[in-house]
Amino acid sequence: MKLARFGLLACAAFAGVALGQQARAETVHMTVSYYSAATGPYFEKMAAEFHAANPGIDVKIDVVNWDGLLQKLRTDISGGTNPDISIIGTRWLLDFVKDDIAEPLDGYMNADFKDRFIGPFLKPAIIDGKAYGLPIAASARAMYYNKDMLTKAGFPNGPATWDDVATAAEKLKAMKEPGFGLMAKGTEVDVYWYYALWSYGGDVVSPDLKAAFASPAGVQALTMYKSFVDKGLTEDGPTNYTREDLQNLFKQGRVSMVITAPFLINQIAKEAPKLDYGIVPVPKGTTSSTYAVTDSVVMFKNSKVKPAAWKFLDFLFTKEPRVEFTKGEGFLPTTKAEATDPYFTNNERLKVFVDLLPTAHFAPTVTGWEDTAKAVTDAVQSVYLDKAQPDAALKQAAARADESLGK
Amino acid sequence: MSAAVGGSRRRAIPLAPWLLILPSLVLALVIIGYPFFEILRLSVSNVSRFGLVRGSAGLSNFATIFGDPIFQNALLRTGTWTFGVVAGTLLASVPVALVLRQPFYGRGLARTIIMLPWAISLAMAAIVWLWSFNADYGMINATLRELGLMQGSVQWMARAETAFPMEIAVGMIVSIPFTVTILLGGLSSIPGDIYEAAAIDGARPWHCFWRLTLPMLGPFINIAVVLNVIHVFNSFPIIWVMTQGGPDNSTHILVTYLYELSFRLGRPGQAAAVSLAMLVIVFGFTALYMRLRNKDPVA
Repeated sequence: MKLARFGLLACAAFAGVALGQQARAETVHMTVSYYSAATGPYFEKMAAEFHAANPGIDVKIDVVNWDGLLQKLRTDISGGTNPDISIIGTRWLLDFVKDDIAEPLDGYMNADFKDRFIGPFLKPAIIDGKAYGLPIAASARAMYYNKDMLTKAGFPNGPATWDDVATAAEKLKAMKEPGFGLMAKGTEVDVYWYYALWSYGGDVVSPDLKAAFASPAGVQALTMYKSFVDKGLTEDGPTNYTREDLQNLFKQGRVSMVITAPFLINQIAKEAPKLDYGIVPVPKGTTSSTYAVTDSVVMFKNSKVKPAAWKFLDFLFTKEPRVEFTKGEGFLPTTKAEATDPYFTNNERLKVFVDLLPTAHFAPTVTGWEDTAKAVTDAVQSVYLDKAQPDAALKQAAARADESLGK
Repeated sequence: MSAAVGGSRRRAIPLAPWLLILPSLVLALVIIGYPFFEILRLSVSNVSRFGLVRGSAGLSNFATIFGDPIFQNALLRTGTWTFGVVAGTLLASVPVALVLRQPFYGRGLARTIIMLPWAISLAMAAIVWLWSFNADYGMINATLRELGLMQGSVQWMARAETAFPMEIAVGMIVSIPFTVTILLGGLSSIPGDIYEAAAIDGARPWHCFWRLTLPMLGPFINIAVVLNVIHVFNSFPIIWVMTQGGPDNSTHILVTYLYELSFRLGRPGQAAAVSLAMLVIVFGFTALYMRLRNKDPVA
């Protein structure tokens, strides 16, 4: 009898302790985007390591496909069930700030923390002087070329200018070899054309937030791409090819030149290890330039565990976790410490991308960027399909973009 | 007097049936009413990318949408899409149903094969067809080359002139099982002796089909048309998977345009306006369906 009562008491006490512990343990929910098969395991591992060092904090990771991420966050935010921290496309940040759902991070960052980052990467997430996001993933674009084919065409070190691209593609065509990969389907059709626009000195958006791409440089760039299509220097039917399609064609040796991000290096190593290829900057028109993108981690204003969430972020942005992440996903280093890792300093191919960063264009954080992208994509496609002339199509797209830019 | 009141009350309010259906009635009202109210609210509001209402927008969402050439073109194309798929489906389904009604060896198997596409989700079917239409390794181009009908390859999805008709064809293929099912049901309700009588009168098979089968199948065809119209009008996966409304918006129908507005361009308010416009159109078809149902009590 006594024993039974003791047992009950012990049970109650046990339960009480357990409950108490549960109440004290904080749970940080983080949503991450699916970059590759390595993303989920990486963040789970980081969460476990972090929990081992900070037993009071649990980190729950939710991996979401990139295409569905914004939609999921939208639904969660309007339902009030959003995570505490999340990876987002930096270009979405403006809307987050406008709706007052992103927490400014300046209060958490001291000078030392800010100094961890490579300067330009921190900038896109600064809005009205306040930092709202930490650059977790960064990539830039450069041209991959098939060495065997380009050697046959007389450019063993890759094309340096757009004229080289045209000359090489013409020679390759005469030899029945594939030419320049041009994408005109899916996301980033606009960006693929911006490469040429920037290289002729043009710009997408002017400093006073007006569409600036319908310029002589823009017409020149689009006319050039269109001439590639007309002369058969690209794959057949570019409006049928997405970026992923082009990358696959490059791996199979069915386009000889393609502009894309550093993560193709990892893919080629895995899927086409015998492919002999080089990487050069985006071809020059009058100047050379590239596009750089960052994804940011943001903290939500309605989070109830901000200090704990910040602690996890602080951990994620130390050297070892960063190196492991960037290496695994094939991105570019965003912190100075990881950039000193031999993996990045000794990698000739990655170095091309890193060297391009000083002249890189980032997607500006302005409202209407998505609408601009859509208008430009439509214009570019209509030109490739012979439905419009470059000049007229760009002017019309600029008028459409101006309806939402900066508003 | 009191007796009269009592009598009319007993006749006017049969309480029990209403009480019995009350729970499902309330449920239906909530399930249908809440989203409808939300869409109505969003369509007259200035809504942020994340669905937060920033203020009233009056009818400006509707004004923007109706003035948008992409919307106008998508509206027309939705008509082509719906008509093309439904008419094509029907033209293909009537002969299929007639054949499947005939007793022949292996009819069970044939019926199963015809019905099988029904078991596959639309998105999956669309992906498989997208692969089939792939210019480089798709089976369509390969087959055409093998048959010697063409050389090289056709980039089916590269332009609307080839992509949209193919999307309509895929729409037809996935609509046939349902339509055949309805028509088979209709055919089995036609008594066999009228054909015997017609044969005695010297009717040829063609006359039998034209004068007997088709008129008796009429109500079923009506139902098949209306149900297919409603379904095809709202059908999203085929076009989204195969061309995402592109290139240059040339394969958008209303529902894919709506999705792009809301989830690509972050304009839920305008998307809500489009979906209300669609609701009105579908409501028209539904009203038609109800009338047909009342006239011909078959479905």
